[in-house]
Amino acid sequence: MTSPGDVTPVKPPPSFSPGSGRNASKLRYPEEQEPTVSIDAELVESRSVSSPSPSIPASTAELPIRSASPQARSIRSSTPQLARSSFGSPFEGRFDGSEDIRSLIIRAFSPTVAVYASEDTDDLVRNKGFKGGFWDLLRPFGETVTGKVIIRDSVGASRAWEDFGVRFVDLKTLGRAPTGQDPGRDSPLAQIEQVLEKQLGASDGSSGTQVPAKDILGFSATTPPSKLFLRQLLCSTAASPHETFGHPVASVIAISSRNKAPLETLRRLYAETNTGEQRLPDWIHQEYLRYYVLVHDEERDDITETTKLYDQMKRHFGLHCHLLRLRSSQCVVTDDDSMQVPHCEWLSPKEHLLGVGETETLVDLGTDGTSHIFDSDVSAIKSFVRELIVQSIIPYMENRVAVWNDQVAARRRGISGRFMSLSKRWAGFSSSSRSGASGSSGGNGGNYDTEHNFYRQETPEAILRKMADFAFMLRDWKLASSTYEMIRSDYGNDKAWKYHAGAHEMCAVSMLLNPLAMSAKLKLESVDQMFETACYSYLTRCSDATHALRCLALAVELLKSRGGSATESAARWAMRVMDFGLVGSVGQILFMERVAACYASKTPVGGAKWGARRRKAGMWSLLAADQWLQAGRPTLASACLEEAERLYADVLEVDGVFPLPEMQSFVDNLRRAVTSDYLQARGFTAQDEPASGEAGGTEEFSEKLDKRKHRRSLMGLPSQLDAGNLISGGPRDPDDQPNDDFERA
Amino acid sequence: MSYYFTILSPTDTPVFNIAFGTSKSGGDGIARFRFPDTAQYMNQFIIHSSLDIVEEAQWTNGAMYLKHVDTYPPAAAYISAFLTPSGVRFLLLHQPPQLSNSGGSSGFGASSILGSSSNLARGSTSSIAANPTSPQTEEAVRQFMTEVYENYVKTAMSPFYKQGAEIRSPVFRTRVTAAGKKWL
Amino acid sequence: MAAPPRHSAMLSMNSAVATPQPMPGDMSQGPPQSLTPQPSQGLRVPSNRKTIYDRHLNRSRNAELSRASFAYLFAEMVTYAQRRVTGIQDLEKRLNEQGYPLGLRLLDLLFYRTTTTSSSALSSSSTSSSPPNRPLRILTLLHLIHGPLWRLLFGRSADALEHSVSPDTPNEYMITDNDPLVNTYISVPREMNQLNCAAFVAGIIEGVCDGCGFEAKVSAHNQPTEMWPSRTVFLLSFGESVMEREKVLERSGIK
Repeated sequence: MTSPGDVTPVKPPPSFSPGSGRNASKLRYPEEQEPTVSIDAELVESRSVSSPSPSIPASTAELPIRSASPQARSIRSSTPQLARSSFGSPFEGRFDGSEDIRSLIIRAFSPTVAVYASEDTDDLVRNKGFKGGFWDLLRPFGETVTGKVIIRDSVGASRAWEDFGVRFVDLKTLGRAPTGQDPGRDSPLAQIEQVLEKQLGASDGSSGTQVPAKDILGFSATTPPSKLFLRQLLCSTAASPHETFGHPVASVIAISSRNKAPLETLRRLYAETNTGEQRLPDWIHQEYLRYYVLVHDEERDDITETTKLYDQMKRHFGLHCHLLRLRSSQCVVTDDDSMQVPHCEWLSPKEHLLGVGETETLVDLGTDGTSHIFDSDVSAIKSFVRELIVQSIIPYMENRVAVWNDQVAARRRGISGRFMSLSKRWAGFSSSSRSGASGSSGGNGGNYDTEHNFYRQETPEAILRKMADFAFMLRDWKLASSTYEMIRSDYGNDKAWKYHAGAHEMCAVSMLLNPLAMSAKLKLESVDQMFETACYSYLTRCSDATHALRCLALAVELLKSRGGSATESAARWAMRVMDFGLVGSVGQILFMERVAACYASKTPVGGAKWGARRRKAGMWSLLAADQWLQAGRPTLASACLEEAERLYADVLEVDGVFPLPEMQSFVDNLRRAVTSDYLQARGFTAQDEPASGEAGGTEEFSEKLDKRKHRRSLMGLPSQLDAGNLISGGPRDPDDQPNDDFERA
Repeated sequence: MSYYFTILSPTDTPVFNIAFGTSKSGGDGIARFRFPDTAQYMNQFIIHSSLDIVEEAQWTNGAMYLKHVDTYPPAAAYISAFLTPSGVRFLLLHQPPQLSNSGGSSGFGASSILGSSSNLARGSTSSIAANPTSPQTEEAVRQFMTEVYENYVKTAMSPFYKQGAEIRSPVFRTRVTAAGKKWL
Repeated sequence: MAAPPRHSAMLSMNSAVATPQPMPGDMSQGPPQSLTPQPSQGLRVPSNRKTIYDRHLNRSRNAELSRASFAYLFAEMVTYAQRRVTGIQDLEKRLNEQGYPLGLRLLDLLFYRTTTTSSSALSSSSTSSSPPNRPLRILTLLHLIHGPLWRLLFGRSADALEHSVSPDTPNEYMITDNDPLVNTYISVPREMNQLNCAAFVAGIIEGVCDGCGFEAKVSAHNQPTEMWPSRTVFLLSFGESVMEREKVLERSGIK
């Protein structure tokens, strides 16, 4: 058995530290570091290229065991987990992490661009190995535009963005998905839960594959499972009438050089999007940018012919045209300039389950699922997308916002607008009995179509919402929030509850995204109130759990990223999500982790010692660890346990020793259970477990691990537990001075 | 209403704790917490986590009775705090009885949509058993705390009591129980 | 919960003897972590069955104590402290340590008495009278020591309260007592002329400061004047954490 005295706190020379993460773990087990140096270095190397080879030293290094070392206190924040070392403590990582989350949220609301290609274009692309046709080819390239994109806001100030992107969608599926989907059986929320299960199953199985496990253990900034969850949630909401984020801002109409009657085809395609069978549902604004693309087959067609055609196209269809030169043959890995097709970041849960994103979830590059593409094609597509966005979409959107702002919003803001809304309200009151009797949709005099539950696209309410959404997508949050604020009460008056909820939600979100606004506490309260209203409208009036959950998840993340007292608000919203039962069992635990993360990100004010929420964060981490364990995920449980210990370290007098006895026994039991489950999952048989910390079992246990690298740490466990029990048993007397008769409290 | 009362030394060592139920409006004085019997440690967790807030309130509010300082929404647990000038914390966790219609074993059950504030408003409004944040409750808790404080001072005055040590006097316990019966 | 028998009461005032002896309650207790009351036999019970919990804390409020007995008791304390000491500093340290727990206790008693008297003065309409606040800032703490604490101990306020003028030591404050009661009947031998037995009072002050959360070192120094030969200055130097907190509270406007 190890007694604390055995552990001499030897500080390793810096040369023995190949990486900061390993450095930490070696500090923890100082006396072993010399024999392990080479292995550690090797380990780091293999990790850095993310080789999936499972190595047992690494797995034991992750054990949630604290050594009995007296140094433990000073080094406790560092964990032996490599993945986490890259994140650092929540205080270092907080800013980056929150920026990351903000960017994720902003990019989730990117403009949607519909793609409608002629048969010959789709054929050409299918030959290249993209089953979904032209849309499938473009899709991954829309998510991030190369280079900066400069956007002017409503007051004329320009700002450059690195992470702008658009979402390419297939015009044929746009606006039809929600109706075709039967809501009960496979709701998006259930799908998200399934995706999570799958992802976690891949990472925490008993198979011993370690790499995904590494990926999900980075706790402090944001756990990848919770990030995955957020991303899934943000792209699981299909286009709906009450918000225009899923509605196309533009449509790419494409033909190929193989087409026999190019101009006629373009005209036909355009007509189909306008009036024909591809016409979008009534609640989508029909007026959007049309962008014409001519795909040139580099291998089979003559470029001079194509250029001639392209000139013709430009004459007929104006400036929004592009000539995209692609090779038509399929690219294979062995080709000289082959490139892997980038992964789609925004795959809906449904697509994840169908295996579209298999390459993303399973790091298994050897098998099929990964297609390749020629380097020249990539650069052609990239420049096309950039031109599309920078020269057409953004100017178009800026223009629309300006026009609507002048024509619709200004009128609404003015006297007449106020009068209009007022008179409408009166009309609504006076006619409420009549409309109730007749049941006619237009009875209350508003523009809201109560029969189909949407505003027609040309009504000011719909246009203002669209304008606000455009401003939001252009990241002009000031204009967006003021517009949402202006219209949110109108929707309430019309009892358009989903619009009402959406406007409140986005108003709060845009306020929180606006870096300048909101410093006063009052504002925070109003933001809370808006989320409250949105959530109530979504959930109670519309029973739309997906949107309600999205709203609450955004509230949690954005309030958390605000820091300060907003983090407490964030934690409250996360608890509310659990309370509502909007998420499944995995989601529940993820939100427990979020609560912990929210509290952990609250830092003390100024030079004061108070203001942090370490104990709360620690508690939630422990509870999450407990839940992970019950869900049969010891790896995640051990990560949470580590995190909890790190959080508690600052507030406990003695490291790992809780003053309250029942807490202590809970933590001890949890620690023990996590350890044994963890080892079991890693292939150690049950008989090697320490039998509830008894000395006999312990001996056998440490013998078993004798060949492993971190024997000392394992041996440290039982003695530490015993010590904990002993100490927690009675009232401790830390300042017992044997040489004096007088107390000193 | 169920109560869990703890006295913590300035270094967070538990000095005294007791669990009891309300004796008002026909209560039998027995604590019935919402946690299952296997999860009674939650009381201590919630108490311990509220110290974050108490430490903050300690330096922004000079009063001895800090009122209701913290809530643990999943279990509808409310924490009231009293600080002696010498830094000893009296923490009272109070938890309204679980309403029969709200299910959920570990407190994550369905509650009203409007959240914690509204599900409290349901019970009879004036009784302290129903509303943990009403002025009546605050006053009752204050009286309770003051009475315990008196007894604590008596304990602390004894030369055989060492600051920060556990209070083991059965008389003290009887006194606290009586105060609970009287006020809560 | 069954009411434990009254006779099990311990910690009676009657057993307050100066020499510490094993506490009877210690041995009769059950497992320490179970905080359940256990009827403990073998306790000395006051014959009138009155425990300390049955006595009112304010009864001794205006009680007068013979100065002679105090002087005798204090003299014994000094003698006791002088045993096994290595020097004057050590002696002062011991006196300080004797005072420290007294300070902690007085703090609670002081507040208790202020609370109860203020509410009883207003015929127990306790809502209208607010109990005194815990000191949050150094200055309120010093006023508490200078005024109420001194009155509780010596029946009068201290004579002066000063802040260090040196910019190097903004954390130092001085409380002056022109004629400390503890030193009235003590004349220090010449070879020990550095000694000030008011170190005991310094210990009390330190206990009060620490109890309120103001970590401080307090020492007593002789500063005789013509008029006040035993004039004593108590030097309080607050710790760094206190000064930092002071700045934060200053910024947030807390008095």
